[in-house]
Amino acid sequence: MRYALRRLGFYLLAAWASLTLNFVIPRLAPGDPATAMFARFEGRIQPEAMDALRAAFGFTDAPMPVQYFTYLRHLFAGDLGLSYAYYPSRVSEVIGTGLVWTLGLAGCAVIFSFVLGSFLGVLAAWNRGGWLDSVVTPVLAFLGAFPYFWLAMLALYLFGFGLGWFPLRHAYSHDMEPGLSFAFAADVARHAVLPAASIVVATLGGWMLSMRNTMVATLGTDTLRLAHAKGLPPRQVMLRYAARNALLPNVTGFGMALGFVLSGSLLTEIVFSYPGTGYLLILAVRNQDYPLMQGLFLVITLAVLAANFAVDLLCLWLDPRTRAHA
Amino acid sequence: MRDSIRSLLRHRKAAVGGSILLFFLVLALVGPWLVMDPTDLVGRPHQPPSRAHLFGTTGQGQDVLAQTVVGARETLAVGFAVGALVTLVGALVGVTAGYLGRRVDDALSLTTNVFLVIPGLPLAIVLGAYLPSGPMRMVAVLTVAGWAWNARVFRAEALALRNRDFVAAAVVVGESRSRIVARELLPNMASLVGSSFIGNTLYAVGAQVGLEFLGLGDVGSVTWGTNLYWAGNDAALLTRSWWIFVPTGVCIALVGFSLTLLSSAIDELTNPALRAPPAVAPFTPAVTAAQTEPLPPGVLLSVRELCVDYATERGRSRVVDSVSFDIAPGEVFGLAGESGSGKSTIGYGLLRLLPPAASISQGRILLGDTDVTALGADALRAFRWAQVSMVFQSAMSALNPVLTLGEQFHDTLAAHGPSSRASSYARARELLAMVGLEPKLVNAWPHQLSGGMRQRVGIALALALQPKLVVMDEPTTALDVVVQKELLQRVLELKSRLGFAVLFITHDLPLLLALADRVGILQGGKLVEVDTAQRIRTEARHPYTRLLLSSFPHLTAADSDGALPDAALAATELAPARTALRGGHR
Repeated sequence: MRYALRRLGFYLLAAWASLTLNFVIPRLAPGDPATAMFARFEGRIQPEAMDALRAAFGFTDAPMPVQYFTYLRHLFAGDLGLSYAYYPSRVSEVIGTGLVWTLGLAGCAVIFSFVLGSFLGVLAAWNRGGWLDSVVTPVLAFLGAFPYFWLAMLALYLFGFGLGWFPLRHAYSHDMEPGLSFAFAADVARHAVLPAASIVVATLGGWMLSMRNTMVATLGTDTLRLAHAKGLPPRQVMLRYAARNALLPNVTGFGMALGFVLSGSLLTEIVFSYPGTGYLLILAVRNQDYPLMQGLFLVITLAVLAANFAVDLLCLWLDPRTRAHA
Repeated sequence: MRDSIRSLLRHRKAAVGGSILLFFLVLALVGPWLVMDPTDLVGRPHQPPSRAHLFGTTGQGQDVLAQTVVGARETLAVGFAVGALVTLVGALVGVTAGYLGRRVDDALSLTTNVFLVIPGLPLAIVLGAYLPSGPMRMVAVLTVAGWAWNARVFRAEALALRNRDFVAAAVVVGESRSRIVARELLPNMASLVGSSFIGNTLYAVGAQVGLEFLGLGDVGSVTWGTNLYWAGNDAALLTRSWWIFVPTGVCIALVGFSLTLLSSAIDELTNPALRAPPAVAPFTPAVTAAQTEPLPPGVLLSVRELCVDYATERGRSRVVDSVSFDIAPGEVFGLAGESGSGKSTIGYGLLRLLPPAASISQGRILLGDTDVTALGADALRAFRWAQVSMVFQSAMSALNPVLTLGEQFHDTLAAHGPSSRASSYARARELLAMVGLEPKLVNAWPHQLSGGMRQRVGIALALALQPKLVVMDEPTTALDVVVQKELLQRVLELKSRLGFAVLFITHDLPLLLALADRVGILQGGKLVEVDTAQRIRTEARHPYTRLLLSSFPHLTAADSDGALPDAALAATELAPARTALRGGHR
């Protein structure tokens, strides 16, 4: 339990660090940041929205510490200001809808890719030099070298525009009424196939290769030699003795790579105009919607921190040695 | 250093990766002078590839080939610059933290770990949005978002090096900290710097392209990222103009792939385990008449003219050469020899547990009616542990760390016949008690036990199926003398109770002479002498056996009747014996 609490403490610290970065970065910009930021909104935004923004971000004439506490107070009240691009919606509402789609799409795709990639890595290492190891691994590694969003463009081009098998954009058809109906779920699934598949294809090779390499190392250990000596069935040796041990460092690696993989998935959303946080991010960039941009940075970071904590708990559950130190 | 560069050049992956990268470097350097101006509007928009425009035209009527070639320059320049900068920052922070330790390390590691969990792209976007645009912005943003991983890697390496002897020696000599870092630590990190630089460049190219695709770069310049940004903006997909985005994407992937190949080549050179093992010729043992004779009565195991070869990069190497010996039921047979004499290889050979690079090239191993060398995969699995089991030198690390002891006993029992979990656990408790451990440890994990306890578990596990022969490969070497003695006494007790035979392998001849009924002496893969322990002790015939015996002066002192060598003689005898042993064979 102590281990879990220590990790929780670390993530709270990291969360505080990102809140503070979010406060500091606009104020570090050359010139007078507050004025520069609001100059871009001049004439394009209602005065009351300007005031809401100033209040939300603490951009007042007050001294820095006071600004900082104003900022924190608003943050804990869930007030991230008003979005310019979606004026007059609140940033928190705009992000809320986007986050659901991102978690659904990227979350499922990334977990699926990790599970499948790890399994393929186990098989590749077990049948070392076989076709899976010598053909599939390098092919996937090559696919992994393409930018995620480029693979998304290609998939959209081939299977969307070319063959017409899948819808071209958005998370569901315009004529659908969002709700808990089977038809709606099927429509959402059909829209998710291409973006999810391109995320899986882009990331699969990485998981496979790292699992293969730890697996190769595990296969040379005395634990495996003993397992073979005991005459255990090969499948049991492969899964319960080799893969189970090789998985541990890879789960840790999964946690560390999450932020990176999520970044790639955000770009994929843009290609498909998928209404998640990635798509919001590009809207924020193009419209210079600073409140939305900063809100997104904060929310995505917190989501990644939470996911990392979940991965730590998973490690705790998988590895009795970590539990012992807890 | 020069050697490692040379072996890198010989490496296939490195050669392919290096050639691709070199091609793009040359393209980035001279390419822009060979093609037309990429920003000129030279034709109608969205034209497919033609003779005039080999890669077609963009949505605005620019030449795609020119854009692809010219885009290489800034993309690679920024990529390498960020790669170098990230490596530098990471190395500085990491080495400082790892070398100085204590509070500095705590503070720097915490900062590093915080930056590590903050996702890079959103951070880069927020930073980029507030900085003035230009190539320097890209370099700065990517460095801030990407330095942390490197710092972590370099810290780990600095920590490992700091504890090594040569650094400790420099500290003792009184060299200054900065000098130690510059002269002792950094040169030893050359390969890490190289592989980090490659990895960071890979990150930098990918992240840069992503940010530019978002429109966060300078959309007026020509880079691979802005090419894709314009492809998206000018509806390349909608107009079915695949030629606008495919060439740039393939170039990015080729550069990325070449960097991946290079870093994987460096990994393989520094970590040989990842390399594919040399191929082994299939097993076709030659059979002689002497090898196939049936076992005479009173013999449990017969090893006949056994040869084991290792496939190495320089061809086959024989590590066990025509070794023959018999073991009677209930006998303790000892094999002694220096490291590399092939004694462990024989032990593993009895269970056909040789590493992939090794194979039995000749000879027979017979146990009762079973020809071990001829067993098929399933028969071999059934034979292992039920007939011959093994206690490893490293039994402490051989237990599966993620399973409780009970589970590991259950797996073993269930693999050789039906056994319910309940009955397996009952048997496991019985076995644990037999080796002097608390039966309730059946629910413990290996890491909760001491080294000696784990070795006892290893013995209990070896006896689980009541095998006829237990191979013990240096089972007590890693233990202290008291634990060692207790353990061996327990083994002998169990042996007389249960009646199994033991093949005991060790470099510790005195121990063996006290323990074994008969002893074989191995030298360079050959069995040079086999005799009873008593006769080896008193009337060894082979010079090598006498050499081995003389390296343990207390043995000769105690046992050669009367002729006690004085201390000076013992010391002079000791010295040449040790050097001879060390240099004799490897």
